[in-house]
Amino acid sequence: MKEPPSLLIVDDSTAIRKILLRVLNQTGITLGDVFEAGDGKEALKVLEGKQISLVLSDINMPNMDGIELLRTLRAAPQWKTLPVVLITTEGGQGRVEEAAELGATSYVRKPFSADQLRDKLASLLAS
Amino acid sequence: MTSDTSTLPLSAQEMGEMLSAATQDLFTSMLGIEVETVSEYEDEGDPFDGVLSLIGITGRVVGTGTLICSAPAACDLSSKFLMTEFASVDEQVLDAVGELTNMIIGGFKNVLESHFGRLQMSIPSVIHGCNISTHKTKADVAVGLRCVYAEGEIRLKVGLAASRD
Repeated sequence: MKEPPSLLIVDDSTAIRKILLRVLNQTGITLGDVFEAGDGKEALKVLEGKQISLVLSDINMPNMDGIELLRTLRAAPQWKTLPVVLITTEGGQGRVEEAAELGATSYVRKPFSADQLRDKLASLLAS
Repeated sequence: MTSDTSTLPLSAQEMGEMLSAATQDLFTSMLGIEVETVSEYEDEGDPFDGVLSLIGITGRVVGTGTLICSAPAACDLSSKFLMTEFASVDEQVLDAVGELTNMIIGGFKNVLESHFGRLQMSIPSVIHGCNISTHKTKADVAVGLRCVYAEGEIRLKVGLAASRD
């Protein structure tokens, strides 16, 4: 039997982590553990030794930002194909293209509507 | 409050429209409420009690975006944002106000990038207290808006200057 997906939410704002948790719980999909991290460095520590199915990450964070986190993940064999969704206020086309080139699975611009985000996450988790 | 004293290819009126649009986008999509920009305001530096959130912008232009509101408005907006009631300003409220500022100034900055190329934003700094006063922005172009929603209001300010680098 397939294990329920475990997720990692990376954002320096506890408010956004709380909102993402609520949206995830509204997807109707049974989730495994949902971990949280306040920046990219913390995220890498959380990822060590865990089977995470999907990472949702902000870009602008202290210590290690989301782009650097993505770059680090794509350079590591064990995380090369780990789905990473960037959820960020950075909406410029250059940022979106840079994220896609680095291997981001998807890109969600803040502010977002909960309905749209729920549908997107449900679709990603179902696949 | 508007001032427009530079050769920056952007007027205070355009900045006000961009800031107002970013604010409306946030309120309708994440808070589910309407907000109206009712007036520009002049920052006279009068002391106030409440919450002040600041974000820096750097790149070909440099400046600061500021959100100011009363403590009850900060609690109300945070309650709507997080769907949790807040009766007083605490760490969660300050974090929520910082994130709301981040999304408004971020939306504004995304449009600004079409004029000035890639810009960077700092993470928000949020202050809660009494008798807070701010100095007039030493900017080439500055705008201040008063935005009203059903239960309260926020004030927004952005000041920009050409980078010296």
